[in-house]
Amino acid sequence: MTKPAIRLRGLRKSFGLNEVLSGIDLDANEGEVVSILGSSGSGKSTMLRCINLLETPSAGEVWIGDEMIELTTDKAGRSKPTDAGKVQKIRERVGMVFQSFNLWSHKTVLENVMEAPIHVLGRPKAEVREEALALLDKVGIAAKRDAYPAHLSGGQQQRAAIARSLAMHPDVLLFDEPTSALDPELVGEVLRVMRSLADEGRTMLVVTHEMGFARDVSTRVVFLHQGQIDCQGAPDDLFTGGGSERFQRFAAPS
Amino acid sequence: MDTPGFFELMSFGPEGWAPALLRAAMMTLAIAATGYVIGSTLGAFLAWGKVSGGRVIRGFAETYTTVLRGIPDLLVIYLFYFGGSLLLTKIMRGLGGEGFFDLPGFAAGSIAIGVVSAAQHTEVFRGAYRAVTPGEIEAAVAMGMARPTLFRRIILPLTARHALPGMGNVWQITLKESALVSVTGVVELVRQAQIGAGSTRQPFYFFFASAVLFLVITWISGLVLNRAERHFSRGLER
Amino acid sequence: MDFQFFGETILILSAGIPLTLTLASLSVFIGIFIAIGIASARLWGPVWMQKIARFYLFVFRGTPLLVQIFIIYYGLGQFEAIRDSAAWIVLREPFWCAVLALALNTGAYGSEIVRGGLLSVPQGQIEAARACGMSPRLGFMRIILPQAVRQALPAYGNELILLCKATSLASIITLMEITGLAAKLISETYRVIEVFAAAGLIYLAINFILTRIVSFTDYRLTAHLRPASEVLLEIDENLTGANP
Repeated sequence: MTKPAIRLRGLRKSFGLNEVLSGIDLDANEGEVVSILGSSGSGKSTMLRCINLLETPSAGEVWIGDEMIELTTDKAGRSKPTDAGKVQKIRERVGMVFQSFNLWSHKTVLENVMEAPIHVLGRPKAEVREEALALLDKVGIAAKRDAYPAHLSGGQQQRAAIARSLAMHPDVLLFDEPTSALDPELVGEVLRVMRSLADEGRTMLVVTHEMGFARDVSTRVVFLHQGQIDCQGAPDDLFTGGGSERFQRFAAPS
Repeated sequence: MDTPGFFELMSFGPEGWAPALLRAAMMTLAIAATGYVIGSTLGAFLAWGKVSGGRVIRGFAETYTTVLRGIPDLLVIYLFYFGGSLLLTKIMRGLGGEGFFDLPGFAAGSIAIGVVSAAQHTEVFRGAYRAVTPGEIEAAVAMGMARPTLFRRIILPLTARHALPGMGNVWQITLKESALVSVTGVVELVRQAQIGAGSTRQPFYFFFASAVLFLVITWISGLVLNRAERHFSRGLER
Repeated sequence: MDFQFFGETILILSAGIPLTLTLASLSVFIGIFIAIGIASARLWGPVWMQKIARFYLFVFRGTPLLVQIFIIYYGLGQFEAIRDSAAWIVLREPFWCAVLALALNTGAYGSEIVRGGLLSVPQGQIEAARACGMSPRLGFMRIILPQAVRQALPAYGNELILLCKATSLASIITLMEITGLAAKLISETYRVIEVFAAAGLIYLAINFILTRIVSFTDYRLTAHLRPASEVLLEIDENLTGANP
């Protein structure tokens, strides 16, 4: 059974006169792993950030499950969500992993993972702690639980950040170039964790440059060009000559 | 005439000034601490105004720091000491009092010191806030953290630890600044040294002794601040 | 506020500007030499010199300037040996005592700025100078010093402004510079607000002008940090005026 986890309709986003997204329609069903590819400036990160409202779309619809985020226009003519409380609820259900990890530097790894479940969801500490330890074990950094982020390698930080967003039990996980800030030898450990999440059947949207991940792990590949979806499809089709000519040039090994 | 030597003067004996000087040192600490508390509170508000205030508030905070960093602290002390006394006299006369009322030097002095250190605190706090990386805030927003929680759990502690070294600096400056309050007649270290110098005609001994006491205070402060910094900056550096 | 009185006050206080500026410039001039001495001792001196330099910093940064002034002005006169020496000609004058205290004080703070400037020159450039066959002395003069000066200048400008404020303490040992005149006027007229505003305005104006001078000098010295096109224009102008 396929239920849409995320639906974008006519999504537009401009920064001043510069239109970054010019009408995106996208569906991601539950359990799908969607890789979003595109050259830099194609709008892929902006699209991801519109989904959990870190950027407010200029126009269009964003559906999370069966809830739509309603937008209005403020006095200055900028669009903003109608209901700020609802936005917060949605963010609780949508996990995000950043390119630059963004772990809280004043908290240990374990504290980072426990912070939001306790202080956003208001769950009991003991229960959260147990779960957090299990999550750290799962991403393979249980031994580092009392270390501060600055004392970890990039790969370890990113895995901690993944554990942090899993602790919220999100319906959807968004990955914004999760391996782009990593040294090449550390990329593998993060991709391995992401692959295991995909195998669990989690819904994931991944903005990435890792062709191998897009081809081998994702159920669908979306190729963005100049703020529009240039082509999309199953990786088997696209990577065997099924996509647009532009995609073939993009994906061709240089 | 047999003049007493340095160690005799600085002893706890009948001719000794040690108890008076130690009391004065406590007064120095009290002025500095009061001024520091006033300054950090005021500075926190001003910094908040600079960071997230409207144009008027921001302009006010900006003017405040520019003016107070450009004007000698001694002038500010005069303003509060003389100005405060005038104001107090006016109020007391209005209430039917007669004569001239002095605003206590301690109050005028520590307010003045506080007003000056508020400007320094403002810069420290604002710099510290800027040192918080936007990503850390964004990560909290992305997890659905509401503004009050975000401020209390993430922004405040991060800002505080970035601010700590600067706040330590301001404390050391405030300590030394408190010497100027001697012009209001409060018997802190410098005033006590003047009194001792005047009555024994041994000015060097007394000013030297007050310098040593200041050194001891700033030195101990430095040690404590270093420890605190190391304690609170866990995780900040590699 | 009484504007006529305010205007008169500005005129009266202006009489103190030369003394304030003289105190500041004399002590910053002497202070730079102290600063360079202390910084060099800390960077390149033998261990005993480094220790002395560190002790100097500890003492002068750990005590209030006012106490330093009092020790020099009132304290030293306690000793007959000093009163009988040639130094007494200088030390009995409040002016020179103030200059001495201010110079010793700014020397301590300035040495940290100088040291930071000297340390800011990358080791690689010093090695490159050696590799070109420059002697240590030549390398210091041609490569390290010019860059250190550029690096230290903004901070030293800030120190200059702090020093200007610090000269106000000279009024406590009877020198009638701006703050001294202001205190006298306050005790005569009891018009605190006007006098404070006038004195404050004068200090702010002095600071403003100093800041401008420093940032202009800084601009001239940091051509290597500006966009190339802008700098090329300036070089062109200089070349057309220069001898071939």
